[in-house]
Amino acid sequence: MSIALLAPLGLAALAALALPLLIHLVRRLELTTTEFAALRWISERVRPQRRLRFERPWLLLLRLALLALLALLLARPVWQGDAPVARPWIVVAPGVALADARAAAGAVDAEWHWLAPRFPHVDETVAVTDIPIASLLRELDAQLPAGAALTVVVPEQLAGLDGERPRLARAVDWRIVPGRMRETASPSTDRIRVAVRYARDAEASLRYLRAAVAAWNQDEPGRYELDAQPAEVPVADATNRLVWLAPPAAALTRWLDRGGVALVVNDGEADGEPLWRDAGGRVLAKIANGGNGRRIALSGALTATDLPLLLDADFPQRLRAAFGGATPAPTLAPAATMRPRVDTGMAAASAHLPASIRPLDAWLALLIAALFLLERFMATRSRAENAA
Amino acid sequence: MNSLIPPELRAPLRGLRLVARHGAGGDGLGQHASRSRGAGLEFAQYRAYEPGDELRRIDWKLYARSDRYFVREAERDSPLTAWAIVDASASMRQADAARPDLRKLDAAKTLAACLFELALRQGDRFGLLALAGAAPAFVHAAAGPRQRDRCTLALARLAAAGRWPDAAMLAPLWERIQPPAVVLVLSDFFDDAAAELALRLAAARREVLTVQLLGADERDFPFAGGHRFRDPESGAERRVDAAAVRRDYLERFGAARVELARRFGAAGVRHVEYVLDRPLDEPLRALFAAGTANARGPGRAA
Repeated sequence: MSIALLAPLGLAALAALALPLLIHLVRRLELTTTEFAALRWISERVRPQRRLRFERPWLLLLRLALLALLALLLARPVWQGDAPVARPWIVVAPGVALADARAAAGAVDAEWHWLAPRFPHVDETVAVTDIPIASLLRELDAQLPAGAALTVVVPEQLAGLDGERPRLARAVDWRIVPGRMRETASPSTDRIRVAVRYARDAEASLRYLRAAVAAWNQDEPGRYELDAQPAEVPVADATNRLVWLAPPAAALTRWLDRGGVALVVNDGEADGEPLWRDAGGRVLAKIANGGNGRRIALSGALTATDLPLLLDADFPQRLRAAFGGATPAPTLAPAATMRPRVDTGMAAASAHLPASIRPLDAWLALLIAALFLLERFMATRSRAENAA
Repeated sequence: MNSLIPPELRAPLRGLRLVARHGAGGDGLGQHASRSRGAGLEFAQYRAYEPGDELRRIDWKLYARSDRYFVREAERDSPLTAWAIVDASASMRQADAARPDLRKLDAAKTLAACLFELALRQGDRFGLLALAGAAPAFVHAAAGPRQRDRCTLALARLAAAGRWPDAAMLAPLWERIQPPAVVLVLSDFFDDAAAELALRLAAARREVLTVQLLGADERDFPFAGGHRFRDPESGAERRVDAAAVRRDYLERFGAARVELARRFGAAGVRHVEYVLDRPLDEPLRALFAAGTANARGPGRAA
C-alpha cells in the first residue's frame, strides 16, 4: 500500500515552486518611494526588515499546492495496492474428475479453476485436448500475487509439457490423482512425398534413398512416399521434398523459387553453412537458402565413396533433420516426474513486484482542476476586494 | 481678485493687524509707533526750546507755570516695512499624502499674500523675497495696491526647487531689508541655514516672525511597511521599515521642533508652527491678532 512514481524525474518540475514564491515575495520587498523632506530625523540604523514575508499567504499556499500537484502528475504516480487477501488457488488439470480433485485437495476454502487457457472457474466446462500445461503453469505463476498458495491437481499422466520440468517462482502443492490426459494431437499427420529426379548415371544412388525413406516409415508408418523418376519427368505439385540427382535444370530452379527444399549433388562450389563433414573435417554438404527455399548441396555424388556417412546407421535421421523433419520433443510424462521446481531467482524477483498497480493520473487531474478553479476564485476575489 | 487668499480667510483677516513691537523708524504717515519724535498724537517728552522750533509746538500752559519755553514732543506714527521671506527650496514641495494638492509652498504663498493684504490695508510698505526656487523672486518694498499685485504675481510664479542658498548669495539681503522692519520668514526650517538667517535678522534689529510649515505626515509619520524615503533637496535616500523607525523619528523630530522654538524664543523671534491640515488663519491669528504679545499696549493695538 504505497504510492510509487513511474517517472520520478518529473519531480524536477518542483523547481517551478520558486515562481509563486518569487511573485509573492517580490511584491513584498518593493519599497514605497516617498518624498520626505524631514529625512534627517529618520534613523538610518533601522533597515527595512529582511524577514521573508509573503503577500496573501493562503493564495500562495494554494498556488504552491497546485504546482506541486502538477509536478506530481508529471512524475506519474501509481498506487501500489498490496495483494488482496491472498486466497489459495487450486487449479485442476482438465481430464481430472472434479470429485477426485476435491478429494485430493481437501475441503479448502480456495479459488477453484481449471488449468486451461484463461483459467475458467471449475463450474465451467473446458475442452480437454491441446492443453499446454507447462505454459499455463508459468502464466498462472506469474499472474498470482506473491503470497497466494497454489495447489495443482494433475492426473498421473501429464500431457502438454515442453522440454523441461516447469520452473516456477513459488512452491506448488502438486497433487496427483489417477487419470491420464489425452495426448495432444500429433503435430502433423500429413503424408510427405519425397520426389527423386535422377540422371541415368545416378541411378545407383536410388537405393540409399529408398532405404532412408523406408527407415523413416518405420518410425511413422506410411507417412513418407518416395517418387523416383528420371529427370525429365516434371515434379508433381503435391511433392514436399525433392532430391535432384541430375545436373541443375529449370525444374530445380522453379522448385526452389516456389520455396521448396531440395537436395542437389555435385555442387562443391555452393555457398552455405556446413551441414555434414567427414571424419577429417572436410565439408561434405552445405545448406543454404536458394531462391525462396532451401538447398542442400552435396560436394560429390550421392555415393558411398563421395559421402561415407551414407553407410552410417543414422543417415536416415540426418537426412530427415536436414530436410527439416526432426522428431518433436516428447510432451507426455508421468506427473510425478514433472513436479515443478522452485526457481529462487524468479521467486526473489517476483517478491518485489507489486501485486496491483493503479495509475492515479485521472484523480490527480481532477484535483488539479478543482484547485485551479479555487485559485482563480481566490485570486479574482481578492483583486475585486482590492479594487473596491 | 486675489486667488492666493481663499475666501474663508478674508473674514479672519479683517480682525488682524500688523503691529511692530519696536518703533518703526521710517518717515511719513502711518499707523505704527515711531521712534522719531515729532507731531504725533502720543506724548513722548518735553524738551527745551531751541531756536528754529515751530512756535506752535511750544507748550504754552507749561510756559505759564514755569516761565520757560518747552516744546512738547509726540511720537510720530510712521509706516512700517513688512517683508515676506519665502523659502522655495525643494523641501517646500512636500505635501501630505491625504492632500497632495496642498504643498507647503502653497500655504507659504497664502500666508505671504495675507501679510501683504494686512500691510496694504494699513498703508505700510511691503516687499517679497523668495529664496531658492526655480526662479528666485525679489520685489522691492513699496506700498499700494500695485505693489500688492506685483508681489502676488511674483508669488504665483514661484515654484519649489533647489536648495537653500549659501551665505554669499544672501549678502544683498542685508542691504535690502533695512531695520527696522517686520520680517515674516515662511519656511519649514529643515535646513538650519534658514533658522540661522532668521536668528541673524532678529539679532540685527529686524523684527522677525517665523512660521514653520510642516506636513501632517511629518508630524504623525503615518507610514507602515518598507519605505524608501527620498529627500527632495539632496536626493538622499533612506530605506527603512516605517513602523520600526516611527517612534524614534517622532521623538527626534519633536525634539528638533522644540529646540527650534526654544532658539527662536531666546532670540525674541515670534515663532509659530503651522501644520498643513490645520486652518490657515491659525498662524495668522497667532502672529497678528490684536492683543497678542506683539502689541505694545491695548490702546495702541486698537
